[in-house]
Amino acid sequence: MPVIRRVTPSDLYHLNLCNLDPYTENYDISFYLSYLMKWPSLFFCIEENRAIVGYIIGKVESSPPALQNSPHYLPWHGHITALTIAPQYRRLGYARLLTRALEQACEQQKAWFVDLFVRESNTTAIKMYESLGYSVFRRVVDYYSEDVGGSMKGEDAFDMRIPLARDVKQEHIRADGKDHKVDANDVY
Amino acid sequence: MASKFGVAGGIPERRVRPIWDAIDSRQFKNALKQVSSLLGKYPNSPYILSLKALVLERMGKPDEALAICSSAKELLHSNDSALMDDLTLSTLQIVFQRLGHPDLATSCYEHAAAKFPNNLDLMMGLFNCYVRESSFVKQQQTAIKMYKIASEERFLLWAVCSIQLQVLCGNGGEKLLLLAEGLLKKHVATHSLHEPEALMVYISLLEQQDKYGYALEILSGNFGSLLMVEVDKLRIQGRLLARTGDYKAAADVYEKILELCPDDWECLQHYLYCLLEDDPTQGIENKIDAIKLVDCRSSPLTDEVFDSRITRATTFVHKLQENLGNDIVRCPYLAGLEIERRKHLYGKGDEQKLMEDLIQYFFRFGHLACFTSDVEVFVQVLSSDRKVELFKKLMESSSTISQVPAKALGLSITVFKFQQLVGNMHGFTVDGLEDLAVKMVEMFCKNLPLSKDLDPQESMHGEELLSMACNVLIQLFWHTQYFGFILEAIMVLEFGLTIRRHVWQYKILLVHLYSHVGAISLAYEWYKSLEVKNILLETVSHNILPQMLGSPLWMDLNTLLRDYLKFMDDHFKESADLTFLAYRHRNYSKAIEFVQFKERLQNSNQYLLAGIESAILELKQNAGNIDEEERILENLKYGVHFVELSNEIGSKPLTFNEDLESRPWWTPTPEENYLLGPVGEISHIPKDNLMKKQEANARTLIEKKALLPRMIYLSIQSASLSFKDGVEVNGSVSNPIVSSEMKILLEHFAKILGYHLSDALGVLGEVCRDLKSTEVFGVDVINWVNFAVFSNAWKLNSNEFDSQERGAHKFGSWHDVDTLLKKCVLERLKFLSAPISLHVTDFQMLVRLITEPLSWHVLLIQSCVRTSVPSGKKKKKSGSVDPSVLTLSSVVHDSIQSLCGTFEEVMKWLRNQIRRLECKEENLEGILLSMRNEVQKGRPGGAFQILETMCSSGSKELGDRISGALKSWDSNHLVRKIVSGQRAVLSETLSICESKCRTLNTLKKQISQI
Repeated sequence: MPVIRRVTPSDLYHLNLCNLDPYTENYDISFYLSYLMKWPSLFFCIEENRAIVGYIIGKVESSPPALQNSPHYLPWHGHITALTIAPQYRRLGYARLLTRALEQACEQQKAWFVDLFVRESNTTAIKMYESLGYSVFRRVVDYYSEDVGGSMKGEDAFDMRIPLARDVKQEHIRADGKDHKVDANDVY
Repeated sequence: MASKFGVAGGIPERRVRPIWDAIDSRQFKNALKQVSSLLGKYPNSPYILSLKALVLERMGKPDEALAICSSAKELLHSNDSALMDDLTLSTLQIVFQRLGHPDLATSCYEHAAAKFPNNLDLMMGLFNCYVRESSFVKQQQTAIKMYKIASEERFLLWAVCSIQLQVLCGNGGEKLLLLAEGLLKKHVATHSLHEPEALMVYISLLEQQDKYGYALEILSGNFGSLLMVEVDKLRIQGRLLARTGDYKAAADVYEKILELCPDDWECLQHYLYCLLEDDPTQGIENKIDAIKLVDCRSSPLTDEVFDSRITRATTFVHKLQENLGNDIVRCPYLAGLEIERRKHLYGKGDEQKLMEDLIQYFFRFGHLACFTSDVEVFVQVLSSDRKVELFKKLMESSSTISQVPAKALGLSITVFKFQQLVGNMHGFTVDGLEDLAVKMVEMFCKNLPLSKDLDPQESMHGEELLSMACNVLIQLFWHTQYFGFILEAIMVLEFGLTIRRHVWQYKILLVHLYSHVGAISLAYEWYKSLEVKNILLETVSHNILPQMLGSPLWMDLNTLLRDYLKFMDDHFKESADLTFLAYRHRNYSKAIEFVQFKERLQNSNQYLLAGIESAILELKQNAGNIDEEERILENLKYGVHFVELSNEIGSKPLTFNEDLESRPWWTPTPEENYLLGPVGEISHIPKDNLMKKQEANARTLIEKKALLPRMIYLSIQSASLSFKDGVEVNGSVSNPIVSSEMKILLEHFAKILGYHLSDALGVLGEVCRDLKSTEVFGVDVINWVNFAVFSNAWKLNSNEFDSQERGAHKFGSWHDVDTLLKKCVLERLKFLSAPISLHVTDFQMLVRLITEPLSWHVLLIQSCVRTSVPSGKKKKKSGSVDPSVLTLSSVVHDSIQSLCGTFEEVMKWLRNQIRRLECKEENLEGILLSMRNEVQKGRPGGAFQILETMCSSGSKELGDRISGALKSWDSNHLVRKIVSGQRAVLSETLSICESKCRTLNTLKKQISQI
């Protein structure tokens, strides 16, 4: 019996179903709390039977004014920092519910688009985001810089986006986004 | 003035930037060099001084850092021309905070703010200081000052929040809310409102005063447009309307919300409650910790009105169902069931209709993992016969619903779960349970090919089956007492983890099972693989911590406690800064919620207990060295704070943040383990009762344990004083004070055990003289024996023990303690027989006897010997020996002999057990062998053989990953690992005993010199 709502600090005591899954990052408590203190309208969860079974953490921001003339300047936009659904509650459409809630909140704040970063190799997540209307806008080369497979080369990230109503000209969609490479240092 | 604040701390930015960069990149030596050279140019700059202090603190030189900080503070206070900007003060604040003197930072800000009363930066810094200290009144006063200076809405809201905090978390009366309301009203009249959060605070303030009508007025007025998300506004409106009693209007609003969000179960419940004019949500916020909205009072409506309202709800819910564009939204269908349930509660239920609806729901959603928990509340209203009938219908239809394998599997799992839900499990025979376990494991294996292409991060199809099979196997053990069923349950889970390493549900079950079979090191390994960190330390560690506290694996226990305490302490250090973040970002309600969150964490029972246990562990680890022990006690302030905690714990708020849902059915809380109790019906104990019991236990446990460090300290002193009079204790306390304080603590301790001091001593005396059995101690053996040891120490230095009391079987001699210690230890050894049925609590008790009361007793002996033996630093002044000291020495000598004998017995037993573990016929390997060779009805092995067959048959359909995993399965290796785990615990205990014996032998040599 799902309830989708904004997160409160005391919900952090109920993250086990999600965060015990090793593929969900269990962040430092101040990470969750600082998002909650800064962008409470972009932190949603789904509650089922008194447990948090999924949550989305987001923020709205733009690149600093100093970068205004850079080709990589990002206008006011929403960003999905984390999205997770407890393994046994997947395939129930909860990711869609959460992303739609976040997108709606970003619409209210007049953002141009919502974006997220995902590992190139994480095909499961990429497929899921594509099914939610997100598409690859650019490829961030070596964004995940830890040692991959014994070599010191990092892994590329896909910057996936969904345009919001403000983006009337649909400037934040590219059919060939995977071919648009950008250096990790140029990404804000 | 302007110039003073125009430049950072009065120093050009370009000169300071490299220092900050060096600090940020942790190049502290470089930073120190630069800051020292800059200090040459600006020797009296408080900013540069505070920067230097910051660098020194980071380099681990707290004393130097504090000295420099203090001189910077002096400069600020004494020198009128000193620059007092926020940068300087905030740098000082960081250092003072890290050094544990936040009050000094506050006084710097107070001084600066008084000097420049119109400077907003400084005032904000001061406000922040009060936030850190949770000084809500001062926060309010400072915010009001800022509001007066700048007339900004945010500062007023800071003040209003500070007032709300005084009411919610402080001692402020509710009248203060009226003051806050007045402030807001006045502001609205002159400046209007501009932020959505400000409106939310205004409404919450009115709600707190039950002014719902007025709140509605505000929301419906112009300010309502501040809330840009329509649903947010509607939710508040619905809630307020319900609270004013305008249920009709509230129901209209909830219909609107449901049309926008058809999957919102909570809203649907509010809708029904409003329609039926029975709103149990009064005063309850939409929070996970709120009371579960399952049952409610019967509706006050007449039959006619009830019928018409139910008709309206039914029509609306049908409309919602028709409008659904997909097949995954469950809420409108659950709503249909809820309407039937509500009718039932009103006495107008139709069981047949409810059954039909449930079957329909099964057809639609039966394959989902959440089906059973979804329908639980509706099934509860059915009669037992109907439940069984429903189960049969679901079982019959499950095979016809879907031909898609994954869905068919999901439906079968649901049938198993439903069977448990309707209570058939407890009524099962051993044969029935056996069939069930075998079926579950078979089904898992048969469906493995479905998962062959899944990414390792995705759950396998049918993953739940193995946890369920494990639970059935444990139930079989519980009925039959065949230990093999536990081993079989372990095998099933280990098999699951061989195929997919990441199933945390299996791991938690294994943590408990391995703890139960005495292989705690394996339990700890699986626990470690869960990578529990951050907030999960608070919610998950109850799965291992209690078992580890009774184990001899001190290194691992130390890591557990240290990591947990570090997480908590670090968080408390930085958490206040997070609150300020909420104020700065104008998310006022979050500031309040956060303070409540922090209080909940601070009052955690685990946190309090871990602090005490950590101290006790250190004392246990060093009990062989009295000098080291005294150093530890000194660091613990001689246990004085713990005694205060023990005295206060009865009235202290205590929170329980442990997630108990993740625990196995047979150990629902850390205190309960049904596998240890007699086999019989497990009566269903409501969760709330378990929680109440847990809370009472936790309070008593903290109360008892917190007395230990001080009692140990006083016992050492008392033993020493008995050999030498006139020694000053703790720098100021003298001989009679030790005795009287010990008496107070012993009285307290006896009271916790349920006796007056004199009666408790009487009980001990009777047990020693075999007039009573140790059963009189109940589960509190360790505490009784601790009490005996400390009583003996008290007696050494007290003249309240007279011969008359001894004559009346009172407890009061070294000999009595030795007898009692030996008696309890030998009894434990008798309980502990074969290694495979290692009775985990008895073994834990043995370990605790050795490492607690026996160790404290050895410590007393060390204290006596150190004082009496003329060697080293503690040389006696005169050559002649007091005859009373001689008598005492002889008593101590006898005590050493007796303790050596006791330890010898334990070591003999341990060596024997270790030998038996090496013998396959006597350990778990023997059981595994019989499980593999032939399986008899009612005996373990059926499920295990399916696993073994699966591995040996191999299948191309499984894909490389699963096939590879199956090849690596080796049950022989696994069982050897378990045996090694059991052996490790025994060996560790043996080595503790050996070390105690070495200490005693040294003492024996020393005392013979007298």
